[in-house]
Amino acid sequence: MRVLNLAWRNVFRHRRRTIITAAAISVGLAVMIYMDTMMNGLDNLAAGNIINFETSHLEIFAKGYYREEGLFPLDTIIENPEFILQRIAKIKTIKGVTPRIKFQCRINNGIDELPVLGIGIDIEKESKVFETANTVVRGEYLKNPDDILIGKDLAKDMDLDVGSFLTIITRDRYGTYEAYDFTVSGLINTGHPLLDRNAALMHINIAQRLLSMYGITELCIKTRDDNKLVQLKNEIAGKIGKNFEVYTYKELNAGIFEISGMKRSGQFMLALVVVIIAAVGIINTMLMAVMERIPEIGMLKAMGFGNYNIVKMFIYEGGFIGIFGSLFGCFLGLLASFHLVYYGLDLSHMLENIDIIYPIKFIIKGEINYMIVLGVFIFGVVVSVIVTLWPVRKATKLEPVEALRHV
Amino acid sequence: MVEMIDLYKDYKVGKVLFPALRGISLKIEDGEFTAIAGPSGSGKTTLLNIIGCLDIPTKGDVLIDDTSITTLSTKEKAEFRKNELGFVFQTFNLIPVLTAYENVEMPLILVNMPAEEKKERVISILEEVGLEEFVHRKSNEMSGGQQQRVAIARALVKKPSMVLADEPTANLDSVNAKEILSLMKELNEKKKTTFIFSTHDQLVMEFAERIIYLRDGKIASDKKK
Repeated sequence: MRVLNLAWRNVFRHRRRTIITAAAISVGLAVMIYMDTMMNGLDNLAAGNIINFETSHLEIFAKGYYREEGLFPLDTIIENPEFILQRIAKIKTIKGVTPRIKFQCRINNGIDELPVLGIGIDIEKESKVFETANTVVRGEYLKNPDDILIGKDLAKDMDLDVGSFLTIITRDRYGTYEAYDFTVSGLINTGHPLLDRNAALMHINIAQRLLSMYGITELCIKTRDDNKLVQLKNEIAGKIGKNFEVYTYKELNAGIFEISGMKRSGQFMLALVVVIIAAVGIINTMLMAVMERIPEIGMLKAMGFGNYNIVKMFIYEGGFIGIFGSLFGCFLGLLASFHLVYYGLDLSHMLENIDIIYPIKFIIKGEINYMIVLGVFIFGVVVSVIVTLWPVRKATKLEPVEALRHV
Repeated sequence: MVEMIDLYKDYKVGKVLFPALRGISLKIEDGEFTAIAGPSGSGKTTLLNIIGCLDIPTKGDVLIDDTSITTLSTKEKAEFRKNELGFVFQTFNLIPVLTAYENVEMPLILVNMPAEEKKERVISILEEVGLEEFVHRKSNEMSGGQQQRVAIARALVKKPSMVLADEPTANLDSVNAKEILSLMKELNEKKKTTFIFSTHDQLVMEFAERIIYLRDGKIASDKKK
């Protein structure tokens, strides 16, 4: 019989009270784990969409272009991409490089007109870097010179389908209006709202003709090892010289990843509030335990129990409640997270017509970070033990004679 | 031997002082079976608490085997209680979540004792108080008399030199009270442990070898049989 054993038995004196207190911790921790899983999934999906459809791992621009990227300045383009391709050809970690031209344009179906992002692609090189070719859900990929690929959502908005004719209207490098008639060869459904709702993909040489230019706006690079992205960026930057700029997809989408961090903090704060409420529950439970056991504490002190052993006993009790609550919370959180990992959260209907800034559209599939689960478990137990200290102070201050007299 | 020298104890309730003990001086020899009797408010429990290092006198001194307990620190008092004293309370004060065995084992938690010896001691004392068949019962599965036997076993398991019992028969019927007192008397004779009771139960006074009668915090009479 040890103090630990006594504390263990004490936890079960009032089973219902213990269960309710532990359950409050469980809910807080489960929410923390579930939110983390969702945010991991959200981040991964967003990063995946950016890498697979928008920027790839790295992008090279002519110096000054990125500063004005939102304006798509055609006077700061990469005039001679071959120069760069030669310079980086020997870097083994590069999996693929593809040129792109991005420009502002309007899409016209003869009745309506919408502003979209025109993207000129090199269909041979594109597939080594982007997954766009695999997302054609109707029709086929670009084949003929006047073929154009548009997103399924844009097609719906513009009442277009495979085989429909449309006109792209833009201004060329010199500011002159240009128009070109295309036939919709296929509809894509990437899951990236930019591509599905606001973009039109065409052959790069057609885009160059439309814009009266020979160069490209960017070179997109896919790496074999995205853990060494910054090293690769620096290596490329060193090889291509100061007339060009290299950015990682994280730098190019800093806003999105900042929002992710803010969302995580916000959600953590929310879960923390739940845990604080649970902690108040523990304080209450332990305070009740101390109050109703005052004569018992007096008896233990009369027997020779010092404050050290009394504190130890109550700390163990708080710890046990914390362990139960945290274990069950982790179990609940993991259970809900597994559902999110394997079945996902279908937000496609909800996100159909709203912009949540995140480049996602389909089902959000979670990703469990087991280190966070462990951290959350430890957090739950530590919080339970720490908040026990306050009610225990009362027990330590009790004089045995007063405690024994207590009714 | 316990020696009380001119003990005074005042309790302050608000601004009013209530004298509980007013100049108690007496000696209790080792192995005595002594009852401190008197009406409610006469100072019996206060005197017992002071002897048991649970309370301190306002004035005067208590010497146990020539050691002044009024000079001991809180820690030293706890240590003294742990090693030398056993307590039996009116309301038994057993820990309800523990079995009879575990309740009796409690005081030994604080003493570094090999597990085998601990087990032997607990079983032996439970046999002595006649509870060998109730070892695994919790307090709510035992009668008042059985609970008080567990409390006595708990007080004696560490072989203290003195057992202080505060109204030990107050919550027992006369049959159980008699059995408990016979048991304590038997243990007193066998183990030579000093027993000091506070009581106003006539039965306890019948069993006691010495009766110290208190009234208004003073010794009204001190009779040895």
